[in-house]
Amino acid sequence: MNGYGTPAIRMKGVSLRQSHFRLGPIDLDVPAGFVTAIVGPNSSGKSTTFRLLMDLMKPNEGSIEVLGCKIGGGKQIDLLKRIGYLPEEPYRHDNALRAMDKAEFHRQWYPGWDVNFYRELLKLFEVDHAIKLGNMSKGMRRKFDLALTLAHQPELLLLDEPSSGLDTIAWRTMIDLLHRYMESGDRTILIATHIVEEVKRLADFIVFMAGGKVLGMFEKDELLTGWHQYFFPGTYAEWNGALADMPGLAWLDDAGGVVRAVTGSAREAEAWLAAREIAPVGRKSMELDDILAVLVEQEKLRRQGMKGVKP
Amino acid sequence: MWMSIQLNEYSAEPLYHQIEVQLRALIVSGQLKEGTLLPSIREMAQQLKCSVITIRRVYQDLEAEGLIVTRQGTGTFVAKVDPEERSRHRLDAVTAAMREAIEAGLRVQCSDDELRELFENVLREAKLNRSPPAGGVNRTAGGENEE
Repeated sequence: MNGYGTPAIRMKGVSLRQSHFRLGPIDLDVPAGFVTAIVGPNSSGKSTTFRLLMDLMKPNEGSIEVLGCKIGGGKQIDLLKRIGYLPEEPYRHDNALRAMDKAEFHRQWYPGWDVNFYRELLKLFEVDHAIKLGNMSKGMRRKFDLALTLAHQPELLLLDEPSSGLDTIAWRTMIDLLHRYMESGDRTILIATHIVEEVKRLADFIVFMAGGKVLGMFEKDELLTGWHQYFFPGTYAEWNGALADMPGLAWLDDAGGVVRAVTGSAREAEAWLAAREIAPVGRKSMELDDILAVLVEQEKLRRQGMKGVKP
Repeated sequence: MWMSIQLNEYSAEPLYHQIEVQLRALIVSGQLKEGTLLPSIREMAQQLKCSVITIRRVYQDLEAEGLIVTRQGTGTFVAKVDPEERSRHRLDAVTAAMREAIEAGLRVQCSDDELRELFENVLREAKLNRSPPAGGVNRTAGGENEE
């Protein structure tokens, strides 16, 4: 992504090889001042990416920069103070602590800790911090951990599936809080999620990941208005040639008596069709998960060494 | 502050364009008065469920047209719309709608006379449907004297 100033996060050629999973190589710039959502199916490498950014895992290759600091050259206490990280799973080892004791410990590390804001967050989320962490329900624990993540007013938020376990009311509170957090304009959020509505409400940019690879990064509104699908009567064989040059054509397949053509440039495609007097029998915009499915299929073909659009 | 802006997310029309057209109309028509504080970019994005990139683009375009002004640190406000500009903008929208209607007619091979007749008919109907309320005031077009 160019033209959005210095990125808050920069990953260059980052790869990680494990016995059961392979990540990368990943090249990714997360622009500062925006909300970027990582969207992808399970085990696509989202959580691993977060751990790499937090220096909890070391990549085999590549370089990572977070808020202008190089990751991997020893502990960076000053950098960590500027980040709020919410891991996918809560830490189990502090289950015996009361929430307030955990907060008391936590705040020692963060000079930016804002006790009034912390109290406000507990109130908003209706969390009682006299309860032991191990005795909290999943949703309550998530809300408490979110409060801890936000209370030191970090410059960068790394949120790994933050809404898992939240009910709809708590979810709305979270969305609202994150918008408020972004209001000052100089903060950045990187959020992993598979909830379409969350992406729609929060994100400015979307990064698609699958199988340890980044499939693409898009500006959200351009993506959602640009990707459309058109339906034509007949079969794939009949349309394959005629539609091969349709602008933005990303996918073409049989969809039960009709052929479905997916494009990433709807306006250009419509003008192109109109100029050739080709009239589709139907058209539909696409949801994020539809687009992700097409990108995943494309990637599979690419890996098999096939070119072009195949059913 | 709530804005009556409606988006069609199923259209291939870019969102920034949809928002720009509607926000411009709200300002030019005087529904948003001079000096009104607009929502911040992030707030507007939240309301309309679109990205801040889109809203930033809309604000930049409208600022370049002189319809809004941003004051560092205080926010973005509706600018003074010069009355001449306002009446020109007002007619722009009507001209565009009329052009669309005429093109629809030409597509089905309407003659000029047919089009004129249709225009007269529709105008007559519209007037009947919005006959003024008893004792109602006949407002001057543009409503510039309303301050």
